[in-house]
Amino acid sequence: MKQFFYCSALLLFALTPIAARADSQWALDQSSLTYHMSHPMHEVDGTSHSARGKGVCHAGQCEFLIAVPVKTFDSGDSNRDLHMIEAVRGAQFPLIVVHARFPEAETQEQWIHANLEVQFAGQIAHYANVPFERTQRGSEVRITGAIPLTCSDFKIERPSFLTVPIKNEIPLRVDMTWNQQ
Amino acid sequence: MRPQAGNSAVYAGILLVFSMVPALAVAQQGTVLTGTVMSELGKPVANAHIAARSAESGQTVETTSGADGAYRLPALMPGNYTVTVSADSFANKESTITLTGAGKPTLNVTLAKGGGEQALPNAPAAAAPAQEPSLQDLGFSQQQMQGNPQLQARLDKRTEMLKIHQRLGLITVLPMAADLITGPMAKAKGKNGQTITEPSQTNLDLHAALGSTTAALYFTTAYFAVFAPKVPGVQKKGAIRMHEALAFIHGPGMILTPILGAAAFKQEQAGEKVHGIASYHGTVAYITTIAYGASIIAVSWPIHLKFWEK
Repeated sequence: MKQFFYCSALLLFALTPIAARADSQWALDQSSLTYHMSHPMHEVDGTSHSARGKGVCHAGQCEFLIAVPVKTFDSGDSNRDLHMIEAVRGAQFPLIVVHARFPEAETQEQWIHANLEVQFAGQIAHYANVPFERTQRGSEVRITGAIPLTCSDFKIERPSFLTVPIKNEIPLRVDMTWNQQ
Repeated sequence: MRPQAGNSAVYAGILLVFSMVPALAVAQQGTVLTGTVMSELGKPVANAHIAARSAESGQTVETTSGADGAYRLPALMPGNYTVTVSADSFANKESTITLTGAGKPTLNVTLAKGGGEQALPNAPAAAAPAQEPSLQDLGFSQQQMQGNPQLQARLDKRTEMLKIHQRLGLITVLPMAADLITGPMAKAKGKNGQTITEPSQTNLDLHAALGSTTAALYFTTAYFAVFAPKVPGVQKKGAIRMHEALAFIHGPGMILTPILGAAAFKQEQAGEKVHGIASYHGTVAYITTIAYGASIIAVSWPIHLKFWEK
């Protein structure tokens, strides 16, 4: 009986670090977020490298938060960038906040399917099962994919050029490198 | 007489009581304070505890928020209140509000992540309860997270003015092009002084009218760009720089062209061959128009030319 007690205690102590490690925390190391705007006479990409993010995996579920200041998107033309900030009400709502949730098991898979909640232009939109490709490089994990944002999802009045408005779709390409902490 | 006086007093008393009933009812009912409790991610916070403490009486009225984050605090007397909102996993939020007894006051509260149970200082990091990260965790300053309505209003006005600038700029192209076409028709003499076209007064008048229209539209267009609000701290780059640089050519050109045109017109009316600096009227007009067209193309660059293929 004593032996059984000692064995159980030993097992419990041996398992404690594993249980403690069950929560994993992640920090965004590098990122490149690029929106694409399409007009019959224009194709424009604006990129930001200023996103910040953190993530926690707990009890089989991962919760990641990524935020990027609207004003950091650079399309190569300051006039257009200011117009973009105005159109998406970026001075009033200065951050794009993305809240991602996905099963922890997918952190070992090639594809992650995340449910996203995106806060942008004073509105909130949800996107279900958005696929992101995961590539492991040593301790780093690279995540690439695209969030299918649209102007109408965020009640953004589409800017127009020569009286023709831009397309409703403004997909946000994502390329992020995460480190486990 | 006495009974009459007594009756009057009774009636007056009843009237007074009745006239006070609505006021008493309002005082009894009090003001209803409503609002919603949201997380900083914009999600409703259910079961948040809301307590309004009167600064005057010290009395506290409490309630909890519903699934949609909405709450309702009834029967609050007019006065100053401290409203404290608390919820699990969120930091407490305290606000003050003055209720006047009029209108339908609302107090919407946004809670930041935090609070809850504190981890022991010597507890291992991995044993700490896993919490959803918050914007504060990301290290954004309050200034970076807070909106700036003044700047937004400035940007709105800027865009509005630049939209007018763009539209008027495109409209200006029409009389400008027409002026270039009618220019040779208004020319009376060839290079060697011979008459190549006999200009009618109508031709001359049309050319002058188109020129005046172009100039008026041009300077109105320029006004909406020059006086559009500037956004401090923005370094200009990209096509806008070329667009603005070309204005240093078409701007002076638009001043010079009508002056030279007027001089040429005067010489022609006097029966003279256009000579001197006035003879450059056409050349300056062409350079101005080319620079103006280039500035429109520059600000629109890069243009996807085969747009019909998309």
